[in-house]
Amino acid sequence: MKLKYLIIALTVILLAYTSCQKVIDLKLNNAAPQLVIEGNVTDQFQPQSVMLSTSVPFSAQSVYPPVSGATVTITDKALGTFTLVEGPKGTYSTVPFKGNYGDTYTLSVQTGGKTYTATSTMPNLVPLDSLTVRGDVFDNKNSRTITVNYQDPPNIANQYLFVMYINNKQVNTIFTNDDSFTNGRYVQGDLFQNDIDINLHDTVTVNMECIDENIYKYWFSLSQQQGSGPGGGTAPSNPPSNLSNNALGYFSAHTAHTKAVVIEQ
Amino acid sequence: MVKLYLLTPYIVLLMLYKPYFNAHFPPLKTLICVFLFLFIAIPSSFAQKKFTISGNVKDAATGEILIGATIKIKELPQNGTASNSYGFYSLSAPAGNYTLLVNYVGYATVSQSVSLDKDVSLDVSLSTKSDLNEVVINAQKPNNDNVTSPQMGVVKLDISQLNNVPVLLGERDILKTISLLPGIKAASQGNTGFYVRGGASDQNLILLDEAIVYNASHLFGFFSTFNSDAIKDVDLYKGGMPAQYGGRLSSVLDIKMDEGNNKEYTVEGGIGLIASRIKVEGPIVKDKGSFMISARRTYIDLFLKASSDSTVKGSSLYFYDLNAKANYHFDDKNALYISGYFGKDVLGLKNTFGTNWGNATATIRFNHLFSSKLFSNTSLIYSNYNYAIISYLVGNDFVATSKINDLDFKEDFQYFASSKHLLKFGIDALHHSMAPGTITSNDSSSVNSKTVPQRYGLETAAYISDEWHVSDKLNLLYGVRYSGILLFGPGAFNTYDAEGNTISSTTYKSGQIAKSYFNLEPRFSASYNLNDSSSLKFSYNRNTQNIHILSNSTSSAPTDLYVMSSNNIKPEIADQLSTGYFRNFDDNIFEFSTEVYYKWLQNQIDYKNGAQLILNPDVESQLVYGVGRAYGIEFFLKKKYGRFNGWLGYTLSRTELKFDAINNGNYFPATQDRTNDVSAVGIYQLNKKWSFSAVFVYGTGNAVTYPDGKYEVGGVTTYYYSQRNGYREPASNRLDLGATLEGKPHKKYHSSWTFGIYNVYNHRDPYTITFQDSKTNPGTTEAVETSLFGRIPSVTWNFKF
Repeated sequence: MKLKYLIIALTVILLAYTSCQKVIDLKLNNAAPQLVIEGNVTDQFQPQSVMLSTSVPFSAQSVYPPVSGATVTITDKALGTFTLVEGPKGTYSTVPFKGNYGDTYTLSVQTGGKTYTATSTMPNLVPLDSLTVRGDVFDNKNSRTITVNYQDPPNIANQYLFVMYINNKQVNTIFTNDDSFTNGRYVQGDLFQNDIDINLHDTVTVNMECIDENIYKYWFSLSQQQGSGPGGGTAPSNPPSNLSNNALGYFSAHTAHTKAVVIEQ
Repeated sequence: MVKLYLLTPYIVLLMLYKPYFNAHFPPLKTLICVFLFLFIAIPSSFAQKKFTISGNVKDAATGEILIGATIKIKELPQNGTASNSYGFYSLSAPAGNYTLLVNYVGYATVSQSVSLDKDVSLDVSLSTKSDLNEVVINAQKPNNDNVTSPQMGVVKLDISQLNNVPVLLGERDILKTISLLPGIKAASQGNTGFYVRGGASDQNLILLDEAIVYNASHLFGFFSTFNSDAIKDVDLYKGGMPAQYGGRLSSVLDIKMDEGNNKEYTVEGGIGLIASRIKVEGPIVKDKGSFMISARRTYIDLFLKASSDSTVKGSSLYFYDLNAKANYHFDDKNALYISGYFGKDVLGLKNTFGTNWGNATATIRFNHLFSSKLFSNTSLIYSNYNYAIISYLVGNDFVATSKINDLDFKEDFQYFASSKHLLKFGIDALHHSMAPGTITSNDSSSVNSKTVPQRYGLETAAYISDEWHVSDKLNLLYGVRYSGILLFGPGAFNTYDAEGNTISSTTYKSGQIAKSYFNLEPRFSASYNLNDSSSLKFSYNRNTQNIHILSNSTSSAPTDLYVMSSNNIKPEIADQLSTGYFRNFDDNIFEFSTEVYYKWLQNQIDYKNGAQLILNPDVESQLVYGVGRAYGIEFFLKKKYGRFNGWLGYTLSRTELKFDAINNGNYFPATQDRTNDVSAVGIYQLNKKWSFSAVFVYGTGNAVTYPDGKYEVGGVTTYYYSQRNGYREPASNRLDLGATLEGKPHKKYHSSWTFGIYNVYNHRDPYTITFQDSKTNPGTTEAVETSLFGRIPSVTWNFKF
C-alpha cells in the first residue's frame, strides 16, 4: 500500500507538466433504488443504532431517502433480543446498552416483504495509545500526516478501522489496517489523506475501531477502490457485505476508542 | 531407403492420441528417444541422388548474419528456403548447374551460379541499396513469401522502418510500434504493455535472445526495456505459433539482439529529451567474431535537481539499460554466441521511500552443423527479475525484496530434409525459482520481518514440426508441443475452497513433486496458393501457460507477482482457430491480408473482492477462475517499397470473460476488449536529406466499470455497481508526426536529427476516470477524468562514426 503512494507521488512528479484533470459529464444508468443497511453495536454504553436508506442515481443530490416502518432487532446470547425503535425517519435505536467483547450479535431487518440478517463478533479492545503528527515529505508546511500509535496484541489476528475528523469534519478517506504485517508490534500507522489540509491549531480526532474479519474485508475493499493509482486500480465492485439478500451496507460489532490532538507546530 | 522425416506425421499423431489410450504413457521419454533416433539416424540417411548447397547469408558491409533471407534456385522455382535465426540455409537439388538467387528486404538480390556435383558450402553476402550505385538498385525485387508461406498471424518488424516512426518523447520503442499493427493494442496511452487478439498483457511471451524477459517495462510501462539500438530483428506471432515456442497463451515476441560489425569498429548514439544512448561494435577477430555493447540512461532526475523542494531535489528517478553481445565463428560448422541484458529502474523520495527493479538475462548459444542438412543450436539461458522497496519513514522502516531466477537449457534441431520437408524438433527444460517476497525490518519498526516461502518449478517441453511443401499450391506446417510443469518442494502447499478457506495442507520435502501438469499442444497451419499473388491460409493451435502474473492494477507495476501453476491454479489453455486471405498487388509492392480468428480460453484468473496480493503467503486463496472467448477480423494493407511506404490496419474484435463470482456469472467485456481499432503509418522520403512520417490511431475506449448509483456508509459516499465493465471510456485517437534530417555526408562521421510531435491536435485520451464528492458544488458528486499526454514535441540528435 505504501508503494502505491510512492508510485502516485513519483508519477505526479513525472507527469506534472503534461497531465491534466477535468470534470466530465457521463451518461450513467440509474439503477433502481437499493436498500442500504448500516448497523453498529459498540462497546460504549449508548443506544445502538441501525440506519436504513436507499441508494440514489449518481447525478442526484447526495441525499439518501430513509426507509421507515421496518422491524429491526439485534440479538445477543447473553443480553437477549433488543427491538429497535424508529426515532428520526430511517434511524432505529435500542435502549442504551454496552456491547460485550467476544459476543456475537445478530441483526434482523424486515422491510419491503424481505428479511435481511447479519452477524458480527465484537473483538477485544485494543486501545489507541496516542496520535502524533508528521510533517509532509515535501516542503509543504500545511500538509501534515496524522500517525496512530497502538500496541498490536500478538498471537491473535486483529483488524482495525480508523475514522478521522478535522475540526469535527469527517475526512472521506477510509483507513484500515490488519496485523498481517504488524502482528505483535508497536504500530505507528500513517493515515495518508488529501481530502482536508491540516493547519496549525486544528483539532484532529481519530476514532479507532477493532472490527471483525468480515467487516475488515468490507472496509478494505472499499478503501482499495478509493483513489486508484496510475492506470486505474482494481475493477470496482460492491464490497463483500455480511448482510443477506444482497442488501448494501454492513452490520458491525466493534470497539470504539477516540483520541484528539491539537496541531501545535 | 526409408526417409525418416516421413515419420513426422506419425510421431505427431502418436503424441496426440496415445495419451487417450494410456494415461500412464510417458510421451516425454518417448519423444526424447525419437529425437535421439532421428539425431543418430538422419545424417546417414542422405538421399543419394541429390546434393546440398548450404551456408550463411550475411551483410556485406558489417558481416552480420541476415535472418529470413530467401534463397531460391532460378531453374527450380519451387525449390526455395529461408535463412534461419543464425543466417544458415540449406537446399537440396539434383546434380546440375544452377543460378542461386538470394533476396532480402532492403538489399540487392544476389545471383550466383553454382555447379552442383557434390555438396556445396556457399556463404552469400548481400549489400544494402545505399551501398550500391544507382544502376543496381533496381535489381531488388519484392517477393511473395508472405503469400506462399504457410505461417500466418506473424508480423516481422522492419527495424529501419521502426526508426522512422514517431513516438512519445522521441524514444523509439519496438513495443509501442508493434501496437500499431492489427490485432495488437497498447494497454493504455504511452504504455508498452500490449494485448494480442484479446489476450491479457501477461499472456505474451517476450524473448530477448531466447531469454524470457519478465518485466519488459521501465517507469511503470512508459518505456520498454528494449533499446532499439541493440535490436536486430523482431518477430511477433499472434496466431499459428510454431511448435518451438510455448509457455504463453496469446503471442510470442521474439527479439534478437544485434551481433556487431565484424569488419570494422563503429560508434553510434543519440542524445534525446529524456535519454541518451551509445553503441559500440566491432570485430573481435575480423570476419570471425564481433561484439556489440549498447547502453542507455535517462536523465529526468536532472530536472528534479532543479526543483526548489528539498525532497524533490533529493529524489531519484531514472533507468538504464545495458545490452552486450559477442559471437565467434570457429569454422564453417561451429559458432558461439554470448549475449546479455541488464536493466534497472531506480525511484526514490528522499527520506521516505525508494524502490528499484530490473531484469538481467544471459544467453550462451552454440551452433553446430552436424551435416549440411542438420543444424543444431544448444542454448543455456539465465534470466533474473527482482525488485526492492525500501521505506525510510521512522517507525515504518523496512526493506522488501522479491526475485525470480530462471535457468533454461534448450536443444533445437533443424533438419533440411529435402526440398519438400523442413523439420524442427527440440527439447527445453526451464527451472524457475521464485521468491515472492521477504520483508526485513528492525525491532523499532511497526513491521515484522517476514518471508513468503520460495517456490521451485521445472517447465519442460519437447516439440517436433514439419514444414511440408506438398505441392506448388499446398504448404503445410504441422507439429506438436508437449509441455509440462513440475512444482517442487520444499514447502507447505495449501489447498483452498471457493471461499478462500484452507481445506488441506501438505508439506513436501526438497525435490519432491508437489503438483505436475502435462499438456499436448497441437499446432497446424496450411496455405493454399490460388495463384502467384494470392492464397488462403488456415491454422489451429493450442497454447498453455504455467506462469501467471497476479496484479490488481492495469499498468505494469514492479510488484506484479509471478506464480506458477499449482494445486490451486490450473494451467491456462487457449485454442485458436484462424483463417485468412492473402493477396499481393502490383508486383508484390502492396501486401494485403485479412485474418479471422476465434479463441477459447480456459482457466483464466481474476481476483476476489478486496484481494490482498502483496506478500500474502495465501495469495492463491484470493483468486477466482473462469473462461473467456475472443474473436475478431483483421485487415492489413502494407506498402513495403518505394519512397512512400507504410501500412493501414483495422481490427474489429470482441473479448469476453466469465467468472462465477463476477458480474453474476455472466460474460463481460475484458479490459482489453476494443471493438474498433484503426492504425495508419506513413513514411515519405522527400529527398536524400529529409524524410517525413505520420502515425494515426483510433480505438474504441476501454471497457470500464462505472457506478449505477450511490449511497452512504460510515459517513463516506460510496458507489453502487451493477455490472462489470458495462461502460466504455470515450474513444481514443491521436496523430503523431515525425521528420528526420540527415546531416551532410562526411567521410569520418554521420549525423542526423529526428524531430517529432506527439499528439499533434492535442486530443486528451482518458487515463483514469474517478468519482468523488464535488468540492465546488457540495452535496453532489462528479466524475473526474485524468489524461496524461497532450501535445509533446521532441528532438533527438543521432550520430555514427
